[in-house]
Amino acid sequence: MKRFSAGAAIALLLSAVIAVGSVSFLGPCVHEDGSFGSCHWAGQAMLGIGLLLAVLSLAALLVKDGGLRAGLLFAAAAAAVLGIFIPGTLIRLCGMATMRCRAVMRPAMTLLCALTAACSLLGGIAAYRKAGRGK
Amino acid sequence: MKCGSLAVKNLLRKPGRTAALVILTALLALSVFGGSVVVGSLRQGLRSLESRLGADIIVVPSSAQSKVSFQNMLLQGTTGAFYMDGENLERVREVEGVELAAPQVFLASLKADCCSVKIQVIGFDPETDFFVRPWIEQSYTRELGDLDVVVGSKVEAGVGEIIRIYDERCKVVGRLATTGTGLDTAVYCNLSTMKTLLAAAENKGVSHKVSSDESDDQISAIYVKVKEGYDIGQVNSKIQGHTRKCSAVRTKSMLTDVSDSLTAISRTVTTLIGVVWLLALVILVVAFVMIANERKREFAVLRLLGTSRAMLGGMILKESALCSLAGGVLGVLMAALLVFPFTTLIETSLGLPYLRPSAGAILTLALAALAATVLVGSLASSWASFRLSRVDPGTVLREGN
Amino acid sequence: MILSAEQISKRYFRKSGEANHFYAVKPLSLTLRPGTVTVLCGRSGSGKTTLLHMLSGLLTPTEGRVLLGETDLYRLSDKELSKLRNASIGVVPQARSVLDTLTVRENILLPSALYGTEDRSEEAARWMETLRIEGLADSRAAELSGGELRRTAIARTLCMCPPVILADEPTGDLDDENTQLVFGCFRKAAEEGAAVLIVSHESDALNIADAALRMDGGQLSALS
Repeated sequence: MKRFSAGAAIALLLSAVIAVGSVSFLGPCVHEDGSFGSCHWAGQAMLGIGLLLAVLSLAALLVKDGGLRAGLLFAAAAAAVLGIFIPGTLIRLCGMATMRCRAVMRPAMTLLCALTAACSLLGGIAAYRKAGRGK
Repeated sequence: MKCGSLAVKNLLRKPGRTAALVILTALLALSVFGGSVVVGSLRQGLRSLESRLGADIIVVPSSAQSKVSFQNMLLQGTTGAFYMDGENLERVREVEGVELAAPQVFLASLKADCCSVKIQVIGFDPETDFFVRPWIEQSYTRELGDLDVVVGSKVEAGVGEIIRIYDERCKVVGRLATTGTGLDTAVYCNLSTMKTLLAAAENKGVSHKVSSDESDDQISAIYVKVKEGYDIGQVNSKIQGHTRKCSAVRTKSMLTDVSDSLTAISRTVTTLIGVVWLLALVILVVAFVMIANERKREFAVLRLLGTSRAMLGGMILKESALCSLAGGVLGVLMAALLVFPFTTLIETSLGLPYLRPSAGAILTLALAALAATVLVGSLASSWASFRLSRVDPGTVLREGN
Repeated sequence: MILSAEQISKRYFRKSGEANHFYAVKPLSLTLRPGTVTVLCGRSGSGKTTLLHMLSGLLTPTEGRVLLGETDLYRLSDKELSKLRNASIGVVPQARSVLDTLTVRENILLPSALYGTEDRSEEAARWMETLRIEGLADSRAAELSGGELRRTAIARTLCMCPPVILADEPTGDLDDENTQLVFGCFRKAAEEGAAVLIVSHESDALNIADAALRMDGGQLSALS
């Protein structure tokens, strides 16, 4: 099981975008008075999810055991699905659809997490199958 | 394995080459579908604004700023608070040719407790209103009570929720249908609620008085409907002359401004799509010719084995059509993923009414984009296909000796 | 089925030099009869491959005609000629002619698949076994050696059981053992009724030949 996993590599790239983006170009706006709204904490939670996804997919990329790689990628897929529900569902965002957190952060995070989940899942299935064949 | 399935095998077993072609054609579909959805949404937004602005004339305070502020409020959903003397309402009603005149009072909230943005509050008179009411009645048919508010579709507050405006607890009793205009970000209430809110604002030190006037009776805008048979331009001039410190704007001229911006944006988008298509087309033609050269031997062998020129041409066309179809589907999907989730972002960046067309219209656009992509992809390969089918297999097979 | 060439020649125009044209193949007549193996020898550039291409319907002669039975090949439309070549003329070209995107089995079955004619899987299996490439049936051409590619191309031709087989240096990439094997296959095809023409430098080819010809400077003569 040495083959390069494209699913894990794409997931790693996407999770890096989630982690960096959630606190920068895709993050919620900064309040003028310096206070933090719940959308700020949603951004922080997404930073956490992004880092977790990055660690899982990096590990999946490095390990040689097919079963282990599949497990790591399935865990990443589940974490990415969780990421979809953080902004807006599990953590409330601002009350106006035109605010950055709703207009930018939420759709971007939904999209990135959905893509990460899909890549991880497909990569996981491929790794699982290959591991099965190797036995 | 006929020529058709041979084409499929050729595509699947040369994944790098196929992926490059699919990505190129995806670019075509992405640009044309994404661009046309954006332009379509802008057109739909303009139509929505036209139907929403049921008034013929709108009277606002005469300062240049208030006029701009009103237009921005309508188009971009920015907040605006400007006032004129309430007496002007009666003056407008006195003008010959005025059928209906309905006042509105605007207030910009401080940041609401839910978020850091200011919310536009619009107070209207249920007795005389013909502008907001028909719209509100689509979702809320009862009378609005004191401190009851109806919210625009972009205000994220459910029915029954309380929103605090200047510390007054207002109950959300209804949500309005999307118009794609700045009206979606506002909160609507009756005039008595508005008075309470104005007083609350006063207490917080935010004054909403007309500077030189101590009168309590202030309004922000008057929506005028002109009686049938009267010339709107003339009524407009009469209102202008009859009121104090007011300026009467014909809604048509405002719509023309919006329509002009829309035309400019449409032209830009069309030019961009044109450039992308031209570039992608040139690259595709070059790519097909290069691939054709690389595959000369393969086609010479097929000719040797008894493939006719027509069969060979058909196979190449089939390959490119399949590639373009896959690219088209991918491009449409990518455009959908970019354009639909980010509707609000596009709307606020463009600062124009933006309303997504119906599902049927979007489906039609997607199919048209797909058809155009397949057609152009196949056309791009036709030159290469023609050249390859004329290849002399004897000469090609000798070249490798 | 008899393949006969009547006074065919191929003349090319030269861009420079004294004469403005030259003959790659000078006017010649040739008949390939069913059940016979004809071997054609000659130095490089003597016009052997040009002759073979003209006989197979791939290269229009400057003069003369090529008849398969009663049919004049070069009077047919491209569609008719292609179909006829597919069914009746098996060509093993000198150059590499196996498609990279297909497996060995798919390559061998390709001619029959082009027109959706009868299933030839059994013949394919038989010829793969005879030519000792049955273990490579599912390998892609890119994974094969030169000799294996050559035997695949030969199996592809023999699999169609064509009445005419034209092979251009079919043993060029093969060792002695496989050369013997391939010549044996051609002999067998002739015994089953095919008219076989082999262009070859190998002296072994002469052992299976019913007739031997020599090309020299575009001119055909009987080999003494």
